[in-house]
Amino acid sequence: MGTFIIRRIVWTIPVILLVIFMTFVLMRQIAGNPFRTSERNVPEEIQRNLERKFGLDKPWYIQYVTYVKNVATFDLGPSLVLRNRDVNDIVREHFPRSLELGGLAFLFAFVVGILVGALSGLRANSALDYGAMFLSNVGYALPSFLVATLFIYFFALEWDLGFPTSGWTTWQSKVLPVIALGLAPMAAFARLVRGTMLETLQQDYIRTAKAKGLRWRRVVGLHVLRNSLIPVITAAGPTLGFLITGSFVIEQIFAIPGIGRYYVTAVTARDYSVVMGLTVLLAIIVILANLFVDIMYGILDPRTRDARA
Amino acid sequence: MRIRTLWLMLATLVASLALVATGCGGSDDGGDAAGTGSSSGSTEEQTGGEAADQTITINWGTEPPSLDPGLASDTTSANILLNIMDPLVKLDDDLKPVPSLAESWDISEDGKTVTFNLSTEGAWTNGDPVTAKDFEYSWKRTISPELAADYAYQFYGIAGAQDYNGCKANCAAMADKVGVKAVDDQTLEVTLTTPQPWFIQQVAHHSFLAVHEPTIKQFGAKWTEAANIVTNGPFKLETWQHNSKIDIVKSEEWRDAANVKLTRVNGRMISDGTTAVQAFEAGEVDVTGTLPPEEIPRLKETEDYQQYPGLGTYTYGFNVKSITDVNQRKAMSLAINRREIIDNIAQADQLPATGWTPEGMPGYDTINPASPWLPENGDLEQAKTLMEQVSSPKKDITLLLNDSPGHRDIAVAVQAAWKELGLNVTIKQQEWAQFLEFIGPPPDKSIDVYRYGWIGDYVDAINFLELWTCESGNNSTNYCDPEYDKLVEDARKTQDNDARYEIYAELEDKLLGEDGAVPMSPIYFYTYVQLERPSVQDTLNLNLLDQSDLTKVVVTEG
Repeated sequence: MGTFIIRRIVWTIPVILLVIFMTFVLMRQIAGNPFRTSERNVPEEIQRNLERKFGLDKPWYIQYVTYVKNVATFDLGPSLVLRNRDVNDIVREHFPRSLELGGLAFLFAFVVGILVGALSGLRANSALDYGAMFLSNVGYALPSFLVATLFIYFFALEWDLGFPTSGWTTWQSKVLPVIALGLAPMAAFARLVRGTMLETLQQDYIRTAKAKGLRWRRVVGLHVLRNSLIPVITAAGPTLGFLITGSFVIEQIFAIPGIGRYYVTAVTARDYSVVMGLTVLLAIIVILANLFVDIMYGILDPRTRDARA
Repeated sequence: MRIRTLWLMLATLVASLALVATGCGGSDDGGDAAGTGSSSGSTEEQTGGEAADQTITINWGTEPPSLDPGLASDTTSANILLNIMDPLVKLDDDLKPVPSLAESWDISEDGKTVTFNLSTEGAWTNGDPVTAKDFEYSWKRTISPELAADYAYQFYGIAGAQDYNGCKANCAAMADKVGVKAVDDQTLEVTLTTPQPWFIQQVAHHSFLAVHEPTIKQFGAKWTEAANIVTNGPFKLETWQHNSKIDIVKSEEWRDAANVKLTRVNGRMISDGTTAVQAFEAGEVDVTGTLPPEEIPRLKETEDYQQYPGLGTYTYGFNVKSITDVNQRKAMSLAINRREIIDNIAQADQLPATGWTPEGMPGYDTINPASPWLPENGDLEQAKTLMEQVSSPKKDITLLLNDSPGHRDIAVAVQAAWKELGLNVTIKQQEWAQFLEFIGPPPDKSIDVYRYGWIGDYVDAINFLELWTCESGNNSTNYCDPEYDKLVEDARKTQDNDARYEIYAELEDKLLGEDGAVPMSPIYFYTYVQLERPSVQDTLNLNLLDQSDLTKVVVTEG
């Protein structure tokens, strides 16, 4: 297991380099002037001054090499649009919030999703099952911005339950965004668990276990659930990655100061350093999430462990 | 695991969530978003008495990209800066310059030298007095090529400034040649390249604010953080949590603090219009900032709705190299039904444009051409007649917009109107930065018509009219008339306001008069709309430049 992990970590370096290169090229391809934010054009002298200040007057390969060198020393550069801030500051200040939002949403999706899915699976084709799956489908189909706005309207405004309409401060303010973000993944997990559970329950070794006289509780807990969780873990890795960084819509609607908002507005504004920095961050997170998934496989499923050894 | 256990777990989860939510639901003063919802709602109806708690919560909208006067280039930053700093000059309700930190000013005979006499009472929050040297340092810093300030061009009217800003070598020597000098602590002497009668008004712009040199030297780019910043205005920056909130409090040390009633402004940054409205309705903010267009019809009926004229024009520009016949341009302009667009699409009671320079600009009555080519309800009859006179009309028109639902709806209405003239209009929508690349100037060859908007930097019509000169970096119409350029030069030299307004009227005439070239067809003049709580409605106003002077705000009872 140890060498496996080390090998995977070493492989991240070329992946990150490739990500940087592709982002670099793509950002330059879509043209657009990072310094022109309104219809008002930028006078020549000022355009030159700005390009010089941010090193954009150098040839592209020099810019690329400089950037890679900086990333190696963890210096992600200054923002082209937010003139008093560095990308490092932005990440340090705002990423923990996105991490918290994504993490909590994932926890919600994971726990509730598995519970609902397991219940549905064990009580297949009952009213409960149909009801739960119907609600899951609705939760999965509704776009998150609609869910978010409805939540704010009903829970924060109309029914006055004590949730604020926006912000990320008290724990009350965290409930609605977390559920709004976690609803679709929860539905996805629930359906997955239900499906694999139904499959696993048909297996011969379950009948054997029952025949041996094991308590049903132990059978479900030890054998059924554990095997049903494998596809969930597969889905969980990338889901966690994207929940942490892809929460732009929720952050926008709930006015949560995370990096999701920065990421998308940076692309529109052509803020090269912010886009590059956050893409590198996202890439690392996805890689780590996938690594985590693979490690979990090893723990959960002895067959994988043996295959690797 | 038994079913019952699983059930129990799920039920406990749901129940605990609901319990905790409702149980702790009483106070939503969860720390940061405390508005005056409670104070203005609970007291009885009284007429106009001052509330005990002079605190309001404003939604600033977005995170200000920078609170450095040299680097700020948007209205959010400008609004905050003008309240935490002390400008030399302010604009009154009629947009005339009135003394602020500068008690008086003198303009020389030839109009090229302006001397500001500063008050002795200006002070920085760390105790240092504000002197003319601060302004000399700040202005030269903004003009310097190293800072690469977006608004350095505002200073190009000052002698030596454009050269210094564009210098590539030996810049330190050029810095000394810039026409800004602190003659003594209270006297700032400015030398201009030509007489600029609007210069005093221009100095009210936030880029002319002073910054505290020792603070910048100590903290570098981080000097604007709340812990480091040193200001000199009626309010102080107390908290700045990026992308979350900016709170400012009254500065008791300010020279005119006795006349400032507001003690505290809590600021949120809710950029989604719908959420801002919901926050207002929940009592979390007292001022919403811009409203989402689809909600305006509903919100117009409420007592919180407030509307202010803005110094901006929404227009469609023509590529005169592709739509070459002026009669076709005139016809296209006539066909647009501005009233319909304003009432049914834009819906914020904008004013139908009757010229290029917006209403509210000083001298408007003289300047405005009441253009015959901009009828409020459109004039299809005359438009069709004119179209017939066009020998080889351009029938296939590409209309370029940036991607925003509001712009698209207006474009569709205009497309329908132009179809009546026998024109096939293709609407092309592009992402913002791409759109800006396409309009250049020079505009991309495929563009025949493009959507444009211009908001005034300062309050003189030259800011609008100089856009259409041949060399203007903002003229994407390919319209070039040397006589027009000459008139603009004449206007720059005319110090007397009334005489200058006459020249502006001539310029408007050249654009949109009876014999005008009609290089563009303005549609409406902007308005600013927001929701304000009744307790602040009387005193909290947005001026034409979308700024509110918080020193004038008083929170009333009920």
